[in-house]
Amino acid sequence: MPTELLQQAAADNHWAAIGPELMVGCLALLLLVLEIVLPKARHEIIPSVAVVGLLGIITGFVINYHTAFVGQTTFNGLLRHSGTGQFLRLFFLLAATGVSVLGIVALKRQKMPKVEFFAITLVVSGAMMLLAQANNFVMLFVALETVTVGFYILVSYTRTNPLSLEAGLKYLIMGALSSGILLFGIALLYGVAGNPALTAASADSMNFDALRVFLYANPDNIIAAVGIVLVLSGVAFKVGAVPFQIWIPDVYQGAPTPVTAFLAIASKAAGFAILLTLVTVFDGYQSLVVGVLTVMAIATILFGNLAALTQHNVKRLIGLSGVSHAGYLLVGVIAAIHVPFAVGAICFYLFAYLLGSLAVFGVMTHVSGDDDADQDMDHYADLAKTHPFLGVVLAVGLGSLAGIPPLAGFMGKLLVFLAAFEAGLYALLGVAILGVVISIYYYFGWIKAAFFPQWRPPVFEGDDPLPEPPRQVVSTPAGILLATAALASVLLGFYQGPLGAWLGLG
Amino acid sequence: MDLLLIAIVAPLVLALAMVLGLPKALARNLAYLGFALPAVIGIILWCQFDAAAKESTYAFLTTYDTGLTGLGINLTLGLNGISLPLFVMAGIVGLAAGLYALQSAAERLNHYVTLLLVMQGGLMGVFASVDVFFFYFFHELALIPTFIMVGIWGGRDRNYAAMKMTIYLTVGAMLSLIGLIAIYYTSGAQTFDMIALREAIAAEGLSTVAQRNIFGLLMFGFGILVSLWPLHTWAPLGYGAAPSSVAMLHAGVLKKFGLYGLIQVALPLLPEGAAHWALILATLGVVGNVLIIGVVAMAQRDLKQLVGYSSVMHMGYAFLGVACLSVVGVGGVVFMMVAHGFSAALLFLLATSIHHRTQTFDLDEMGGLVKSAPVLSAFFVAATLASIGLPGFANFWGELTIFVAAWQVFPTLTVIAIAGVVISAIYGLRAAAKVFFGPPTEAFAKVLQEQPATDLTWSERLPALLLLVALLAFGFWPKLMTDSINESVAEIYPAVETTVPADVARN
Amino acid sequence: MGVGLTEYLTVAAVVFAIGFVGVLVRKNTLVIYMCLELMLVASTIAFVAFSRFNGTMEGNVFVFFILTVAAAEVAVGLAIIVALFRRRQTVQVEELNALKN
Repeated sequence: MPTELLQQAAADNHWAAIGPELMVGCLALLLLVLEIVLPKARHEIIPSVAVVGLLGIITGFVINYHTAFVGQTTFNGLLRHSGTGQFLRLFFLLAATGVSVLGIVALKRQKMPKVEFFAITLVVSGAMMLLAQANNFVMLFVALETVTVGFYILVSYTRTNPLSLEAGLKYLIMGALSSGILLFGIALLYGVAGNPALTAASADSMNFDALRVFLYANPDNIIAAVGIVLVLSGVAFKVGAVPFQIWIPDVYQGAPTPVTAFLAIASKAAGFAILLTLVTVFDGYQSLVVGVLTVMAIATILFGNLAALTQHNVKRLIGLSGVSHAGYLLVGVIAAIHVPFAVGAICFYLFAYLLGSLAVFGVMTHVSGDDDADQDMDHYADLAKTHPFLGVVLAVGLGSLAGIPPLAGFMGKLLVFLAAFEAGLYALLGVAILGVVISIYYYFGWIKAAFFPQWRPPVFEGDDPLPEPPRQVVSTPAGILLATAALASVLLGFYQGPLGAWLGLG
Repeated sequence: MDLLLIAIVAPLVLALAMVLGLPKALARNLAYLGFALPAVIGIILWCQFDAAAKESTYAFLTTYDTGLTGLGINLTLGLNGISLPLFVMAGIVGLAAGLYALQSAAERLNHYVTLLLVMQGGLMGVFASVDVFFFYFFHELALIPTFIMVGIWGGRDRNYAAMKMTIYLTVGAMLSLIGLIAIYYTSGAQTFDMIALREAIAAEGLSTVAQRNIFGLLMFGFGILVSLWPLHTWAPLGYGAAPSSVAMLHAGVLKKFGLYGLIQVALPLLPEGAAHWALILATLGVVGNVLIIGVVAMAQRDLKQLVGYSSVMHMGYAFLGVACLSVVGVGGVVFMMVAHGFSAALLFLLATSIHHRTQTFDLDEMGGLVKSAPVLSAFFVAATLASIGLPGFANFWGELTIFVAAWQVFPTLTVIAIAGVVISAIYGLRAAAKVFFGPPTEAFAKVLQEQPATDLTWSERLPALLLLVALLAFGFWPKLMTDSINESVAEIYPAVETTVPADVARN
Repeated sequence: MGVGLTEYLTVAAVVFAIGFVGVLVRKNTLVIYMCLELMLVASTIAFVAFSRFNGTMEGNVFVFFILTVAAAEVAVGLAIIVALFRRRQTVQVEELNALKN
């Protein structure tokens, strides 16, 4: 029994390096234990435990942000800790916190078991954090599947609601399909890079570093090219890039609003985390990767914006507008091949998107009625008059998503566009600008619905007056979340200070 | 303390405080301060400007790090001879608009004032920024409240007008942003700092093709924002719907952003590109804005639309002046921008005051207001004369200088432009005559019976007086402004030959 | 002449293609689900074949992960399908179209 080998392998297992992920996992387990231990009447504190626990983990993480592991690989090359990875870990923790707060608000109205939602959210975010640091296809696949399977459950969480189940089924089929495609691509890459007959073949061909070296040495391998295209397609499903975006409107509409937020924010960011890693791995096939991504980016921006124009259901609208955001981010990914600061730009964009989306989804959670899937633009009539706070938060969030200066979203777009310009992607830039102009129209339409006085059909005597659109009272934690998201969106537009420095932009 | 920063931040901080729930009465009193501070600071800086130390024409330079130094983006504030008069004008017009708004009986006045304060902060920032990025940024900061205010507090067609303004102005802003980013990269300076950009381009120089393309982008981008014909259609509609203070600030000040960008950024950095496009710009300005819009304005029956069209029309002179590419022409444009800022704001203010008394903007339904409101009519006639460009008012010097400069380059267009003065006299005086003189119409007599018209109240007179005094001051004493303008323009445009002695502009 | 890598890969590719086309054209959710499993199986075949012919163990290890993940997916997926069938009394995709504008 070659125990030395095992010992040697274990020496590389720095558990401290994945401390935050472990804590997130333990927190998830703790929630389940609490559910068993606590009497039923006390169960409502469990979600608060999740949020407080997450805030604690975030605090600890920020304190230890500049950990010694940055720049190293651990666990036998399964994980690579990088500055971008650190930022994305923080990003997923913040997203999980926001989604948990929204979950508390939304689940109050459902007769649903409440604990599992938070436990699964935690597990999924832990997996995303690992995903952002994956340096090996095994790690990538397992983490990605943990995320995906977790989302199957979350999307169909309100199982008494057929719409939620239908969305869950659609997400299931599409998610499994993309996993299958991704997996087959991985198999091809693994096989071709491990072929001893080829130069620079590696015994450890799942490892990104080895694969990168191999792809450099064999720039014309057809099987490798097919594998790359399949892997990119699989990832494109996750970020919702055209032509793999078909699931987005239905799933976004049917899923419970907090889950939609989680999908829009974290799932997309996770996809881009993978893409950023893979683009460097596939460096040897640059022209192929750039070609595929360019076509995708153009189609994604145009489709997302044009399809969003006609939407009246705000959940579908935000989903399709999210597609267009994926398009802008793809432009950033392409730029990142040549321009180093583009990675920082993408991170900033994602962060601005996180804040803007949390603000908008937070308002949606409060405005939605019993039927979570039926959220029409008309429900927002006079929101600014009856709930000025929600109105302002909505306007700031949408403005930031639309990229209106001086909000954070504008800076994100500007940074990505600057990177694209430096990389010389003029055609893509033109399409992106066109997309931004189109998007102003529907974002503004939504703000208009909430702010500008609307025409109402006159109510005659004897008729029942139109039912008031349902609106929730804003609880303190939700209020803090919304106010933070909105204020941060404004402040980050004016002053990027420490965040810019973190991302290497300062 | 950096006065420039205070002038920008004070209104913004007040606006934020009002959002966060300052008590209403206190907020309103503080709002006076928020509007007054920029104006006062503007005048103080103006007095100090001649003595101040200057670095490549800019005085009061300060730089703040906002976290994007790595990309060459810093908040750099400063004023030169071109931005100083506009900065002062923005302060004074802002004060007038603020005073007028605070006395108005708008619904949800606090929100209205809050947005107006944001706009004011943005406006001060536009003219105080030496960094091209922040110059753009502050413009957008001022623009967003404009859309919202038009949409909520606007008059007829406000939804359509707000939407149209948003789309047009966003497209314009995006085009100019691409142009600015293109300058950023092609100059090789990798910075948005105007001074560094100038130095980099003076050392390297851009290729002719790049200059032409970028100038084209900027010309149409900025052109949309300044309502260059035929991309002007948002303007009369938007101003027609906009509440008075917003129209004052946008038509008076914010619109000048595009011209200011052309003068401060595009012309000095891209001289060859400018030469390539000059004839097109001048033709569009004179034939499109002055002639066609002038004729359209003559056909207007709605007072506010008329003022809106007149504001679009006068931008034609500015385009002509810019297209001269000479120190004199540009100096004239700067002078005219300031003068037009005051006169356009005054006209919008008075148009709204008239509406309060007549309950209509329809010229055919008014008449004889002079009997009940003599002060109002005096103000209106003065403002109309100023806008036509009669000697004694600031507009005269601006237009005269532009004509003198343009005569050397585009004689035919200059003749048409001068004919435009006659057009503006026709519709301006006709409007004044219809509103104030002659017998009241039947419909209007009924309104008067129900609600006898009062003369301008003091709270309306004060802002109007502020603007009129400024117009007259620069009209009788243009040297107040011309010295500093000439000095800066001459230094920024060293390559372009002066065909006319600079003394003419100094009149 | 024994069975070589090419043959294994051909089988894998054919199975993958059958699964992929099946997902796109079949109407019954359960059949679609089986097709998805076919795609995973195709990858498994490819992994094992590559592992055998390249002489590296990683492919075999990966297969264990695939099996585990597929099991989890099936558990969740069938639960969703059953719950949906209880509500709607159908598993035909063309009848599951309540989500739209």
